[in-house]
Amino acid sequence: MIDEICTMSAIKNIELPDIGDFDEVEVIEILVNIGDTIAADDSIITLESDKASMEIPTPQAGVVANINVSIGDKIKQGDVVIELENSEEDKKTPKPTAKKTNESKQLNTQIVAVNVPDIGDFDEVEVIEILTAVGDNVSEEDSIITLESDKASMEIPTPVSGKVTDINVKLGDKLSLGDLILNIETTGDSVSEKTTDTTPIAPAKPETAPLAVAPSPASKPTLDQSISTLPSSESHASPSIRKMAREIGVDLSRVTGTGQKGRILDIDLKGYVKQILTSGSGASLPKTPVIDFSKFGEVETVALSRINKLSGKHLSACWLNIPHVTQFDEVNIDQMEAFRQEQKNKGIKLTPLVFIMKAVIQALKKHPRLNASLDESEENLILKKYFNLGIAMDTPNGLVVPVIKNVEKKSLTELATELAETSAKARDGKLKPGDMQGAGFTISSLGGIGGTQFTPIVNSPEVAILGVSRAQTKPIWDGKNFIPTLTLPLALSYDHRVIDGAQGGRFMADLNSILSDIREILL
Amino acid sequence: MITKTQVVVIGSGPGGYTAAFRAADLGKQVTLIERYDALGGVCLNVGCIPSKALLHTAQVINEAKEASHLGVTFNEPTIDIDGVRSNKENIVGKLTGGIKALAKARKVNVVKGYGKFISNNQIAIANSDEIIEFEQCIIAAGSRVTKIPDFPLDDPRVMDSTDALELADVPKRLLIVGGGIIGLEMATVYESLGSEITVVELSEQLIASADKDIVNPLFKHIKKRYANIFLNTKVASMEALDEGIKVKFEGKKAPEFDTFDKVLVSIGRSANGKLIDAEKAGVEVDDWGFIQVDKQMKTNVENIYAIGDIVGQPMLAHKAVHEAKVAAEVICGHKSGFDALTIPSVAYTDPEVAWAGKTEKELKAEGIDYEKGVFPWAASGRSLSIGRTEGVTKSLFDTKTGKILGMGICGTNAGELIAEATLAIEMGCDMSDIALTIHAHPTLSETTAFSVEMAEGTITDLLPPKKR
Repeated sequence: MIDEICTMSAIKNIELPDIGDFDEVEVIEILVNIGDTIAADDSIITLESDKASMEIPTPQAGVVANINVSIGDKIKQGDVVIELENSEEDKKTPKPTAKKTNESKQLNTQIVAVNVPDIGDFDEVEVIEILTAVGDNVSEEDSIITLESDKASMEIPTPVSGKVTDINVKLGDKLSLGDLILNIETTGDSVSEKTTDTTPIAPAKPETAPLAVAPSPASKPTLDQSISTLPSSESHASPSIRKMAREIGVDLSRVTGTGQKGRILDIDLKGYVKQILTSGSGASLPKTPVIDFSKFGEVETVALSRINKLSGKHLSACWLNIPHVTQFDEVNIDQMEAFRQEQKNKGIKLTPLVFIMKAVIQALKKHPRLNASLDESEENLILKKYFNLGIAMDTPNGLVVPVIKNVEKKSLTELATELAETSAKARDGKLKPGDMQGAGFTISSLGGIGGTQFTPIVNSPEVAILGVSRAQTKPIWDGKNFIPTLTLPLALSYDHRVIDGAQGGRFMADLNSILSDIREILL
Repeated sequence: MITKTQVVVIGSGPGGYTAAFRAADLGKQVTLIERYDALGGVCLNVGCIPSKALLHTAQVINEAKEASHLGVTFNEPTIDIDGVRSNKENIVGKLTGGIKALAKARKVNVVKGYGKFISNNQIAIANSDEIIEFEQCIIAAGSRVTKIPDFPLDDPRVMDSTDALELADVPKRLLIVGGGIIGLEMATVYESLGSEITVVELSEQLIASADKDIVNPLFKHIKKRYANIFLNTKVASMEALDEGIKVKFEGKKAPEFDTFDKVLVSIGRSANGKLIDAEKAGVEVDDWGFIQVDKQMKTNVENIYAIGDIVGQPMLAHKAVHEAKVAAEVICGHKSGFDALTIPSVAYTDPEVAWAGKTEKELKAEGIDYEKGVFPWAASGRSLSIGRTEGVTKSLFDTKTGKILGMGICGTNAGELIAEATLAIEMGCDMSDIALTIHAHPTLSETTAFSVEMAEGTITDLLPPKKR
């Protein structure tokens, strides 16, 4: 027992650091193995949000004692990612504070992690109630939290008695099998009997780490039992409700009862159906036919990348929810190009994009409705007083839209540098979620690739996006002659609920004016 | 001659006529095939109804006899066996006649004859040139008495339940082979009419599918009245002699041989699946004569449904009736389905035995944690006042949820009392739902609530096994 505590003191939990305003980011790669010796700042896992993937480094060196996450887990700030065993020197001289803590405790105390037990075929079950608090003394089998799935709510009992030292979940968290709920400090004789049954935080077996539930053998069957009494077919519903459900084709196990003792009432059934009818926008869309393409020739099936899939979902939502209008314009950029070449000769490389960014900010200042978002009720417009631009970037993994912040405060060269850095990060998949948040307006430039025009999709919740195609020298009639003029094709898509055609047109006219006389950027 | 019909129903028992009537009410043109003259099948003609008529006679006789305890003594009854029989036949006649009138009113075409499939849309009527061509079919051809070929079945002294209900005479010594519901009901009738009864049962318990503690009050009650009840005993052979039927027993307590004036063989019923050429329609029938159906009573053949005894246990009219409605409604395009949680069982013996939901045996076998409450009727004022003390009510609950899982009752009117438990199970009641429902006092139905209070520990009329 004493040995165990000493071992524990040498173990350091490496928690997920602040990764921006993100919850529930999925683990897509684990870069270390148990037993690996790692140095500070070595990457330990790769996370992927709906916007980007990022590698998480360890803040300190050590030997990996345990890996607390598995691929596919959704984790958030503060979740323990791995447990690190300090190097030998550290072990010999444990930190004074740690030692003191140990001494002040009874020698036969032990911290036991209570994780989500096997609750049946459920994933991501929401915490709707926390039934205990830090410092509470709980007895074995006391309920500690209530989880609610779409099928049922269930109270999760603690497998051990003791004092709650910390609670790792909060209301609304979605938990899955093996997620840490809380830690309990067990004391007394009961512990020594149970040591073999429970899983102390430190020396958990690697294979069972994600499932380190730690219920004692005596309590485990009861947990299983509580599940086996909740088979889907035995919903709490009277024969008439079962009949109605059958007639309208509702699986009662998916309906939450609001009647006495959770009985499913007819209003529950009707409410469930109503909810499906009102929420199922995608479901009501006509499906495209399934075609076996291989009968026309050789085919190959390639999985979409995660970013493809995630951005696809987002783009569909934007495209379906926003009434789009796209208008086009061509800008004379002879003057801008001349200035750009001048700077280039001086060794300063500026892409047309940084000029466009500055010009867009100038135009947005004049037309604040394009730097805005609709609120939840869709009855108010939230005008943004900051000028952050999303820049759509092509990466090997798919489309990402990092955000360049406070563009109005940055010089052309500063922007050029930042853009170069950001696109490098984007290509390497190193963008952090925070790097991709907070835009008020987006620019999608295909100028380097080609094309005369395209219709960009508004990046909701923003209300407008500018599409830039390749500049071309065109003969422009000045009244007497055709003058060869370098013209830049622009396409502005906007949310017609927020911006009407005249306003879109005026924004475009102003943008055109600024870009064709870049001195206006200074105004 | 080919008669075309939208829906044909084979068999006019409670399942068959219900299916036919429901389909007709929902607008279908229906043909009902029945091999016998009278509609109503086994239940009305040679089952539930005639047996209950006779059991009522038995009850009157027994109660008159027991009245001496109440200070009222009647003379020995004079039994006019023809009168008893004709009362029964009157009742049966009224009901089957009623069914016939209802069929006519619904314009159901009743075809008398033995129907057998010749394809998946045609049924031929035996001994006639009539062929019924149908769009949809509901097989309700029921079951028949299981026979043991080695027994001298041709001898009129060896009866099946149909023969026994004929009530040809009252034998002095009657052996009942098979201690199930049918055998024990007929034992009740013949005992009251004056027969000396011996029951022989292969298994260790009468009414083997019920819990033993629920059957026990009946067992104790009839043990005193019957000559013998041999459990764990097999009838090895039977020989028809002039002086009676000589029976050879194999069992610890039974004599090797005994001779009886009559023998009733009531060892169960077999499904009639193999008697209707179902294979010609492509309908699958298992080795036991059962036809498999889904929750909508559909067989493996799209347009052919089956209901009642022929689709499986329990072979009970009230199950067949519910299945019949499902089949008819599904045929008529309704999204109907059989999703009853329980089918109650009743033995109309004296005392009656009834149960619904799971038995303790089943709960143990399925490994379900349960709690039980048992209330002995000896503590029921109502039970004592009708001069009976042997009854018992037992309720079973899920330990975790407190939800009712089953109930078993033995006692006067148990068959009526079980209805509450059946409703409670369908409604998903838990202990307190039943305990907090006010039951009238003094009634036998109170015993239901008392048994729940025994489980809850809230009973006051007895000492609770545990207090809560």
